[in-house]
Amino acid sequence: MTEALFAGMDQLFTLPTMATMLLGVVAGVIASAIPGFTITMAIVLTLPLTFTMDPLQGVATMLAVYVGGYSGGLISAALLGIPGTPSSVATTFDAFPMARSGQPGRALALGIWSSFFGALVSAIVLIIAAPPLAMIAVKLGAWEYFSLIIFAMTVVASLVGKSMLKGLMTGLLGLFIATVGADPMMGVARFTFDFDLLANGFPFLVVLIGIFAVSQLLQEVEDAEQTKHGKQLIPANVAFKPLDALRETLTYPINLIRSSLVGVFIGAVPGAGGSIANLLAYDQAKRASKTPEKFGTGTPEGVIASESGNSATSGGGLIPMIALGIPGSAVDAVLMASLMVHGIGIGPRLILDHGDLVYGMFMAMLLAAFMVLVVCLFSMRFFLRVTDVPRSVIVPVVLVCCVVGAFALNNRVTDIYLLLGVGVFGYILSKLDYPLAPLVLGVILGPIAETNLRRALMTDENWTLFFTRPISLTLLILAVVSVAFAIRHRLRQRHTAKPA
Amino acid sequence: MSPQSSSQQTRSSDRVADDDTRRANALAHLLLNGALVVLFGALFVQAGALPSSMWEPLGSGSFPRLVLAVLMVINLGIMAQEWRRYRGAPRASAGLVKRWMWRHRLALGVLALFALYIVGVPMLGFRLASLLFLTLVQLTLGVRRPRSLAIAAIIAVTFSFGIDWLFRDVFIISLPRGPFG
Repeated sequence: MTEALFAGMDQLFTLPTMATMLLGVVAGVIASAIPGFTITMAIVLTLPLTFTMDPLQGVATMLAVYVGGYSGGLISAALLGIPGTPSSVATTFDAFPMARSGQPGRALALGIWSSFFGALVSAIVLIIAAPPLAMIAVKLGAWEYFSLIIFAMTVVASLVGKSMLKGLMTGLLGLFIATVGADPMMGVARFTFDFDLLANGFPFLVVLIGIFAVSQLLQEVEDAEQTKHGKQLIPANVAFKPLDALRETLTYPINLIRSSLVGVFIGAVPGAGGSIANLLAYDQAKRASKTPEKFGTGTPEGVIASESGNSATSGGGLIPMIALGIPGSAVDAVLMASLMVHGIGIGPRLILDHGDLVYGMFMAMLLAAFMVLVVCLFSMRFFLRVTDVPRSVIVPVVLVCCVVGAFALNNRVTDIYLLLGVGVFGYILSKLDYPLAPLVLGVILGPIAETNLRRALMTDENWTLFFTRPISLTLLILAVVSVAFAIRHRLRQRHTAKPA
Repeated sequence: MSPQSSSQQTRSSDRVADDDTRRANALAHLLLNGALVVLFGALFVQAGALPSSMWEPLGSGSFPRLVLAVLMVINLGIMAQEWRRYRGAPRASAGLVKRWMWRHRLALGVLALFALYIVGVPMLGFRLASLLFLTLVQLTLGVRRPRSLAIAAIIAVTFSFGIDWLFRDVFIISLPRGPFG
């Protein structure tokens, strides 16, 4: 372990890697400060730029964008009342009133410190939790792996969106999309209908870009007509006192640690993420507060809870990815892709086969947290201006970058045609309230699920082993429980929504 | 999960809350899910023709068939739910489709330009197609004043010729050149 740690640090602390990480942090903060530009989009657009880097440099740069992105969402949330990313929704509850009451600098500084501590706690938990979990995971057989994916899919489907049926439908659709192209075991062409376009299947990055960037941008165009922003609330001079804010942040240590741990836990659950973590951390802080009535009026406790909660999901999300090879969110899926592009297989053996890379990633998380802190503290006044970028610029520029990203992946024009098809389909699904995240996870997990199912039955044709092997059975029971809980929760919601 | 999900949910709830579109929304579901059931059914049959293997009990078609079968059941379940909503919703007022198209004119316009752009990239080359696309979308989204037009032109040139240069000369990835190379 120590050897791998030092090898990772050796690769990480080089000038090119640290320079690209710094650029990544700046890009992440700027991108997320722009309303409508999500962290996922920023990560997706960074990916093609990492193709020519070595694996650790590439993934460290993307981690820098990721960690920077969680802090950037704070800026527009605090100053405009518009969450730069959905993971900053709860930040608007108190940071915005605080800013409007004449203390925008205090709101920003509190948010920056809380984000830093959240990211720090999550990196520490990641370093402690991921390696032992991976050691257990390498002992899992094909039965357990298949059951684990079933569990992950049911959790995702039940957490995202308003209808579990729709979540399951898009998740399974993702599993099906992954079957188009060559069969992973025998190489037989499936559902290609002799079209060149489909011969290589749907590259999951093309699906990811189409689903998360193209359809999301079209939604942004719709919203642009309804919301006008960027004109009213950015003060010319922001009094920015970071040391006072640090002292104030540290006067709420329990809130800070609790919210960070909520963020780590939510981040580690496949399907959950920053958008849930910030609200849950905020809710917990309000319940535990001696002055809950002040929440929503500009209390520092609310800002600390939301920002530490959402930033902590960055490290939490890496736990299942590194230990189990299951991405916790779309962002983790792109991180996975950046390693796969370099021919590095993701799964529990990652930490055994590429220990230097994994420990390098851990250190990159810590380094990125420090970089974000320094960059934000020293350049906050500059970043305040980026919230002014209009959607008429963001939309076409990001669409062009999407096309470049889809093309550069394999240098194939057919991939950009697929991008258009997937983007339009994703837009239709989102208009009909289908959650899109399960679809992308389905595409990623599909080949893993199929390979393990077939491998399990090749080893032993007895299918009851899925139910008699203890870990496999436990995972399947958990899958049923997660579905049952989701149904119960929705029935309760429906019951309370009905008028008495 | 992803940061997008909550924004999607917020927007969705706004849409669903609109009484006038409830029936149309249910109808759209019925049409989409109905079409998907038919498609999945056809693919299920096609998957049955995929070769099996002598080395394993499951052939190439088994896993897709399993997934497609569950997908058909779920889609039928969604259709049953939506059918109830369709029956229970008030009749939509006349001209709803027109109003919907008008409300989404910008998104549909950008989508149409994006489709043309995708088709244009191999034909015109990345630089020229991107330059046209960036200019037209910015104009579509309301750039009118001289200062904004100048900024739009700078952005169009930077993100067409600039990206092409970055990928060709720095990352050694050649984007489609087209006849104007």
